[in-house]
Amino acid sequence: MTETLQNLYVGFSVALTPNVLIYAFVGCVIGTLVGVLPGVGPLAGISLLLPVSFGLNATSAIVLLAGIYYGAMYGGSTTSILMRIPGEAASVMTCIDGYAMTRNGRAGPALAIAAVGSYVAGTISVIALMFLAPPLASFALRFGPPEYFALLLLGLLALAYMSGGSMLKALAMAVLGLLFGMVGIDPMTGFSRFSFGLVELGDGLGVVPVAVGLFGLSEILLTAGQATAPEVTKPRLRELLPSRQEWRASLWPIGRGTALGFVIGIIPGSAHIISSFVSYALERRLSRQPHRFGQGAIEGVAGPESANNSATSGAFVPMLALGVPSGPIPAVMMAAMMVHGISPGPLLISQQPELFWGFIASMYVGNVVLLILNLPLVGIFVNLLRIPYPLLYPGILMFCVLGVYAVNGSVVDVGIMTLMGGLGYLLRKFDFETAPVVLGLVLAPMIEMSFRQSLSMSSGNYSIFMTRPIALVLLMVGIALLLSSILAFVMRKADWRQRLGFAGAKQ
Amino acid sequence: MTAIRQQHHCITGSTKSHPGVRVHCWDGRTNGTYRRVGLTVLLTLLCALTTVSYAQEKYPSRPITIVAPFPPGGVADLTARPVAAAMEQVLKNPVVVVNKTGAAGAVGMAFVANSKPDGYNLLMALSSISIIPEADKLFERKPAYTMDQLIPIALISADPTIFVVSADRPWKNVKEFVDDAKKRPGQISYSSSGVYGTLHMATEMLSHAGGISLKHVPYSGAGPALTAILGGHVDSLASGPAVLIPQIKAGKLRPLAGWGAKRVEALPDVPTFKELGYDIEFYIWAGLLAPRGTPQPVMKRIRESVRQAVQTPEFKAAMEKLQTPIAYLDAPEFQKFWDKDAKMLADAIKRVGKVEIPVAK
Repeated sequence: MTETLQNLYVGFSVALTPNVLIYAFVGCVIGTLVGVLPGVGPLAGISLLLPVSFGLNATSAIVLLAGIYYGAMYGGSTTSILMRIPGEAASVMTCIDGYAMTRNGRAGPALAIAAVGSYVAGTISVIALMFLAPPLASFALRFGPPEYFALLLLGLLALAYMSGGSMLKALAMAVLGLLFGMVGIDPMTGFSRFSFGLVELGDGLGVVPVAVGLFGLSEILLTAGQATAPEVTKPRLRELLPSRQEWRASLWPIGRGTALGFVIGIIPGSAHIISSFVSYALERRLSRQPHRFGQGAIEGVAGPESANNSATSGAFVPMLALGVPSGPIPAVMMAAMMVHGISPGPLLISQQPELFWGFIASMYVGNVVLLILNLPLVGIFVNLLRIPYPLLYPGILMFCVLGVYAVNGSVVDVGIMTLMGGLGYLLRKFDFETAPVVLGLVLAPMIEMSFRQSLSMSSGNYSIFMTRPIALVLLMVGIALLLSSILAFVMRKADWRQRLGFAGAKQ
Repeated sequence: MTAIRQQHHCITGSTKSHPGVRVHCWDGRTNGTYRRVGLTVLLTLLCALTTVSYAQEKYPSRPITIVAPFPPGGVADLTARPVAAAMEQVLKNPVVVVNKTGAAGAVGMAFVANSKPDGYNLLMALSSISIIPEADKLFERKPAYTMDQLIPIALISADPTIFVVSADRPWKNVKEFVDDAKKRPGQISYSSSGVYGTLHMATEMLSHAGGISLKHVPYSGAGPALTAILGGHVDSLASGPAVLIPQIKAGKLRPLAGWGAKRVEALPDVPTFKELGYDIEFYIWAGLLAPRGTPQPVMKRIRESVRQAVQTPEFKAAMEKLQTPIAYLDAPEFQKFWDKDAKMLADAIKRVGKVEIPVAK
């Protein structure tokens, strides 16, 4: 304990040197911008700036890149809340209730809660990272393909809580998403599936173009199709901050989101995207008024936004403690270290204490910077809504195209986004929710990979899912959840879904 | 696709001499009416003409692009950047690295293979360049590119793969491993960067040479494959020294042998397979390629600039930090090296054939 505090003191003395501090700040600012731009997520932002970091020293480089990473997670919620366009894939869930809040004139509180939730999650998860990194990292390694498969199945069950409308429609959309996830080269045999001879489809449909198309473009198209233009909501200053009741409602979702995000973030290969889906489902399951979700429940913003920020810190655990990347973003950061002659590995913390503790301390600093940066921005961002729609929407459209193109520099991606925009428009005209499609698309390749890897490990024997303790426990939890919802369905008791689906159809 | 590519060049080619042309090219790219297609074809020809005039100019007269077909932070990217920086100094002309990723590198490789052979689009290729056309052949699909569309400039680095086992597994050397694998065919597992990937191929060569059969669990990249063996989910792995050495030093992994012609400097106690009597050699290499048809004088200039670039202290220092030894070979030697490597990989792919999915008996 004293040793940790002493180390942290060393860390702060590194992080607060003007040189490092300025890169933390620059990283946070760039990250926020990257997050706000539709489609451009943290991976694209970090990848674009990786070459810039080569000229800095190792600590500054890592601090800069980490700043972009968590800055993007803060900023990603902005366009989700204001315009229903996911700034990056992890903000898809924020679109649902965040945008509903904007429609109710509560954009300010939604943005403020997203920022505060992100701050709390960021700070608490850094504390967890500091104390728990080594023991947690070795636990995380025990997640092999069977465990991962069981976890992803749990994620799929989250579907039941995704949509306010009919369960049947939600499942149909999830299946559509899973089918989209089948596009691309078969990971086990190398066979091309549904790629129609397009080399670019070899990696499958990207989450970003699909999410921006299904959410953002469809919203623009729907608005354009309305008989009367939606009213421009003029926010009042008094309404920028959450009410007492909203604070209270957000408290636990932020706490739960933080814990959930950190745990899911640690697991190698897992994505922060899933943490936000699971958090949303959890909040809805625990809520006394689940019917409010989808209509602007602040819990639906607080939980997922905290979860995806906390997952950011979680993802650093395997990277710093073991030198293994837990996802594409830590992989890029490890490359940045290697360029500076530092080999990320199990000995990193003991061999490079200044880097490790400086990095930890800079994350505290970065979170404070982001809060200071983001709260005043709430006022500015909310005022974007004053722009009349005929000017606002073409502008958004342009940024969507730019953002989606920038991720891979691929025109095919822009085409996918456009097609998905059309599809999203049709689906929403027929009262289908589009969030399950995105969840299906995110989960399908991962479920497939881990399922088939597990069977490779066991030479085709399905008992592998039952004989490994973590996998077994996760599967049992999943079955229990499934049974409880089936039970509720059979008992016709908490049958809010069908009622709402009926009500929705009448509107 | 080809049309888009041509127009891409049209844009880059036209910006200098005919600024006004650019707008029409862009227009043609987004609208598909016949009239516009006609216009585009015309303008593409026009652009081609201007590019020809460029070829007659002194090379290089505008920025050179090195395409890294993998994401930032990968081997291709990390090798391309110091090469680009050093070439920039030699040529006194900007050299830019562009990541064109997708489909295990096929997107970026096909992009350069099909680009205009004017010396302004080069490719930082990895060993996998020889695999993709073979895999396309195996599945009888239209190849994204063929290898004779590209010609070598220089080999930059070649790292032998190292064979490691999890430290808590019993095998102390290759003999123990192979003997055990013979007793239990298909039981000992290994992870790889993906099916038909370089790490899969390296282990396949070992299986073939040792007359053993191992259980393959493919992952989506070299990073996840490493995570799998550290977590104890697979028994063995073949990968590059740069990622393995920190884990070996920390005592998590035990190296059994290397695929190089000689031992890896950082691991002097680890024998090579050749020493142990296995006739296998395999490297994860990175080399610079150009589209076939690049004019001889331009090729000569590029080759000369790379030869000088790899000798600069800055380049040496950068590669030293990456713990990747420089293995420079000029075009003719590189061609021989590449031919041999490609044949070896083609044979390995043919041996593997279409992967069968294990089914429980």
